[in-house]
Amino acid sequence: MDFRYTTEQEMYRQAIREWLVKNLEPRARGIDEAEDGIPNDITAGMAEMGMFGTTIPEEFGGMPLPDDERLIYAMITIHEIARADLSMSTPVYTLLTIGWSYIINRYGTEELKQEVLPAVAAGKAFAGINTTEPAGGSDLSAIKTIAPWNEEKQAFVMNGEKAYVSGPKECEKWGPPSGHCTLVKTDPAQGHKGMTFIWVPAHLPGISYTTYKDMGRMGLSTGGWIYKDVELPRKYILGEEGKGFYVNMDGFNAARVLVAAACLGGAEKGLEISGEYTAQRTTFGKPLGKWEGISFEMAGDWMALDMLKLYLLRGAWMIGQEHTNPGQFGRKEINKIISTCKCLSPTLCHDIARHGMMYHGGFGYTKETPLEMLLRGVMSYEVGAEGGLMIMRGIIARDEWGETHNPFKD
Amino acid sequence: MDIVVCVKTNPDLQMVRIKNREAVTEAVPYKIGDLEKNALQAAVDLRAAAGGKVTALCLAESNRKAAEDIKVALAMGADEAVVIDDPALAAPDQAAIAAVLAAAVKKIGACDLLLFGEGSSDNYTGQVGARVAELLGLPQIGYARKVEAADGAVRCERSMDDMIETLEAPLPAAVTVVSEINEPTIPGLMQIMKAKSKPLQVWALADLGLGAPAPVREIVSNLAEEQDRKNILFEGTVAEQADAFVNALIKEGVLGR
Repeated sequence: MDFRYTTEQEMYRQAIREWLVKNLEPRARGIDEAEDGIPNDITAGMAEMGMFGTTIPEEFGGMPLPDDERLIYAMITIHEIARADLSMSTPVYTLLTIGWSYIINRYGTEELKQEVLPAVAAGKAFAGINTTEPAGGSDLSAIKTIAPWNEEKQAFVMNGEKAYVSGPKECEKWGPPSGHCTLVKTDPAQGHKGMTFIWVPAHLPGISYTTYKDMGRMGLSTGGWIYKDVELPRKYILGEEGKGFYVNMDGFNAARVLVAAACLGGAEKGLEISGEYTAQRTTFGKPLGKWEGISFEMAGDWMALDMLKLYLLRGAWMIGQEHTNPGQFGRKEINKIISTCKCLSPTLCHDIARHGMMYHGGFGYTKETPLEMLLRGVMSYEVGAEGGLMIMRGIIARDEWGETHNPFKD
Repeated sequence: MDIVVCVKTNPDLQMVRIKNREAVTEAVPYKIGDLEKNALQAAVDLRAAAGGKVTALCLAESNRKAAEDIKVALAMGADEAVVIDDPALAAPDQAAIAAVLAAAVKKIGACDLLLFGEGSSDNYTGQVGARVAELLGLPQIGYARKVEAADGAVRCERSMDDMIETLEAPLPAAVTVVSEINEPTIPGLMQIMKAKSKPLQVWALADLGLGAPAPVREIVSNLAEEQDRKNILFEGTVAEQADAFVNALIKEGVLGR
């Protein structure tokens, strides 16, 4: 047993921190204010450092990593990006792209992998997740978007609407092969057993989008998609037809590792900012840090943060182990650990940002500190992206105590 | 052209705290010094132009993880690495460091150019490059801000106070470099993973046919500067305060030198 990163993991962490501090951190505020996406030179540099290739095999332009360590490298990547861009724009852009590429690589057809993964690894395509609909997101089995197989057209023909999806403008900016892993009903009569997870390239005929004005992570667009008779060839299917719900859930576990990493990276940096400020700022003749009302709260935040970092590492390691050598852990065991991370990390990050703003006083309410940016950004993961906090509790209750505690079934 | 770059690892200076005027290095990780990274980058650039091999040579001193930390040099582009790790060399003086490095360069064999940073990031004595060159009988050029090699010679530029000096020496030669020479590249994940399979040898003193060095230097005192504030308050109008402030800076030798 070893609780440390390997030599290569640690070298990578240090290398990207150095690169991100130099190239991304000074521009985070600008990205938030411009509301115009992540600048191309930043994504190009990130690709050169290997960040977009962590979850992609070398044969598709990715990095030569052991498969069971891919999610750990992705986790390190997102943690470090989140430290550098507290607006959460770049970490979320990246975690979606590399997280769902991990699932494309795991469940996609050879043709799909050839089409999408090399462009993602080169930093020239966006890949996202697309499940929520105007009527809801947590209740996935109630989705209404349908895509039954059409023998004549030799395609799944998709009609419906999706909402609160990250990345429509990013798909437009990069063009093909950008798109989203999308949950649809290929056999609407079958409930969640009639669902299929399928790659939907954003540029196909019949697709249009609208965008929303968000409160945070302003460098990444959010919007809704409208699909009218969109033809999806069979090569785009992820996993098996009719098994989409389970593939989607497996994908969520991997994505939630990275979401938690983004929150913990932001939290770590936020707490560092508070540490520095409360050491320097004096009131009533002593540093703010000497006031136990402040230092004890910071100590509490530190404890929660350090425990979650270790817990998340465990979760990322378990998924990697399970995916490369199945049968080591049950699905429920992984679900509970990952749900714990997804449930606690966004709230902790929010608390640390808010506490830091309080220590900074009036200064903390200005845009001169990045803490308000962090608070606005991380809220997206509290309201529900990649699974609402109450849904995480529901998963834990179901998978720990069984059907008597399953809130998803009467 | 075969190049050996002498690379020192030192405690990460950003994490070193000063307590009672002494450096607290407990639990502080080591990293390759910034100037050594410049030397490594210069070597990699020269190899790109002239071919050959770059070997990173590191004396571990008190760094028990030097054989891991040196992998950064391999990721930055060195082809091979040699670490000299021996309990008798935990706190060597500059004479001992130079003697060991010179013996290691001889053992490595092929070396057309020997590169150093102008000084280490921690002690910064600036002695080692010159000492090794002397022990090996090599011509040496110090403080190079540009290095080129062609036709069996190395040509270097260095900044003097009011001019730029260009020096040339026949190969093999030793050169120390300054930070202006280049901006070291940060290795990406591909380079880090490739470094894993590059040759890395760890030698002890016995492998070099050397015994424990006898120190020729005694450290009498090595304390951080005291940083007391003078607590001078300037009074009067803003203009008077500004004048008094500037005069005080001149008096302290900060301005007007």
